[in-house]
Amino acid sequence: MKKIAAALLLLLSLSSCGRQKEKLYIYNWADYMNPDVITAFEKSANCTVVMNYYDSNEALYAKLKAGAEGYDILFPSSYMSKLMQEQGMIREIDHSRLKNLANIDTKYLALTVDKEMKYSVPYMVSYSGIAYDKTKITDFKPTWAMFERSDLAGRITLFNDMREVIGAALKFNGYSYNTTNEQELEKAQATVIQWKKNIAKFDVDEAKRGLSSGEFVMIHAYSGDALQLMDENENLAFAIPVEGTSIAQDDFVIPKDAKNLDLAYKFIDFMLEAENAKENMEFVYYWSPNNAALKLMDKEFLENEAVTPSKEIMEKSDFLLDMGDKNELYTRVWDKIKSAN
Amino acid sequence: MYATAAVLFFFYLPIIIVIGQSFNSSRFGGSWKGFTLNWYVKLFTDRNIWHALTNTLLIAASSTLLAVILGTLAAWVLYKYKSRIQVAHNVIIYLPLVLPDILMGISLLLFFVALKVTLGLFTIFIAHVTFSLSYVAMVVYGRFQDFDYSILEAARDLGATWNQAVRKVLIPYLLPGIAAGGLLAFTLSLDDFVITFFVSGPDSTTLPLYIYSMMRHGSPAVINALSVILVLFTFIVVISSKKLGEGKK
Repeated sequence: MKKIAAALLLLLSLSSCGRQKEKLYIYNWADYMNPDVITAFEKSANCTVVMNYYDSNEALYAKLKAGAEGYDILFPSSYMSKLMQEQGMIREIDHSRLKNLANIDTKYLALTVDKEMKYSVPYMVSYSGIAYDKTKITDFKPTWAMFERSDLAGRITLFNDMREVIGAALKFNGYSYNTTNEQELEKAQATVIQWKKNIAKFDVDEAKRGLSSGEFVMIHAYSGDALQLMDENENLAFAIPVEGTSIAQDDFVIPKDAKNLDLAYKFIDFMLEAENAKENMEFVYYWSPNNAALKLMDKEFLENEAVTPSKEIMEKSDFLLDMGDKNELYTRVWDKIKSAN
Repeated sequence: MYATAAVLFFFYLPIIIVIGQSFNSSRFGGSWKGFTLNWYVKLFTDRNIWHALTNTLLIAASSTLLAVILGTLAAWVLYKYKSRIQVAHNVIIYLPLVLPDILMGISLLLFFVALKVTLGLFTIFIAHVTFSLSYVAMVVYGRFQDFDYSILEAARDLGATWNQAVRKVLIPYLLPGIAAGGLLAFTLSLDDFVITFFVSGPDSTTLPLYIYSMMRHGSPAVINALSVILVLFTFIVVISSKKLGEGKK
């Protein structure tokens, strides 16, 4: 008994060591930052970075809203940053403290939710699109209309995600991912019900495995996932439909009650440095709108459509926004799609 | 016989697949891409995983210890005293068993925030004791159902002090229940996600929290490798505890 108590005490004292160094508390997605870059930051700022993880934007919001505090930097997606800003949960960004802010691509910024980086700084960007097997679909065209092809029936999948699937159909019909117009939504509903006849299932994770093993020939996929798949299987390719697609961006934001502001700004600035942003990009396979870092990247990496979409497509694409009470419209359409035969 | 084998096979097949996949060099595990120990190397060099694992074990061990003590006491009181207060007590003990985790997580979080308790390992510890206490109490209480109180009285008649009677008669009788309750509490604490998510603070990530978040960007293959090690660990614990039990006989 005494031994156990002693061991527990020892563990406790171990976990609280290093008190002399300052600590920076980060709330992030797992595996979303190169550990070597974090270690480099710890050395340069002489501090300890403590990482914590959440698994969805909604969980992050619920937890902070209920009053949890103690974090210095968060990484919500842009629709969630906007919501948190509206509710006064995050701070305005003080541009004078981030000298590397100039690295951010201003042309890209003009398309985003927080165009002036008032409360958020972009970290990584990903898109949804279509991943497919080049050897099995020789006449592939980059369009959402691929889901209409009945010759591929049973070998293709769509996301199991209300906003992404209805959004793709909205784009296919020439509307925005964030529409609240009921007629447009109805049209999209008819389109998805048409597509549903051809798809094997609505799925996100199993579909990746299915594409890599040959069970499926074409799947609705996120760019980062597609790149990882292509890394392993050279028969696979990724395309962004010409009609446009959805863009998801994760931001650096600083919560209202952050205790270590100095260190938080130092951290963000450090991650915006060209070399570090490059290392992070290579680690997570996503595109970062950091001009200085992009200059250092491999040409091959950048020319890949799964990493850098063309400007025309970017302009046609939408950031998913929080719908608030209008979410119900989407839920209703989604229910009808799911129950249709 | 064959039916048993089939059922066992069915139960263990997923674990066997996980073990196989942990050596598969494909990061998605769709098809076999060759043998690799890469995921194990990644696992052992990832300081975040080890930090999370330390937190998890620390909380599981400490919360089990306290839950076993409090749970056994609660069971004893429920058995010994029958009054209206005990009926209420019974309901209160029962409640966490049926309460949805999310409700408990959010309400504990609101409670801690209202009391201005800093979220961290301590709040996770309290939360885990809260729910595992009920499981221990119920299992030990079950053991009490067949308990004949007169053997305690007999011990006292034969000259044992109250302390001796408890130590030499009551505790040994309850031990299987206490052990089972303790194991249950330990496993529940080890893999709890929902409640832990809400009451965890900065610097108190546990393994389940880490694994759930890894699903989005991380490599499932590292999780496979981790699972294999956990399974191995469990087998070692079960086999050695069985060996110990045999030794005593």
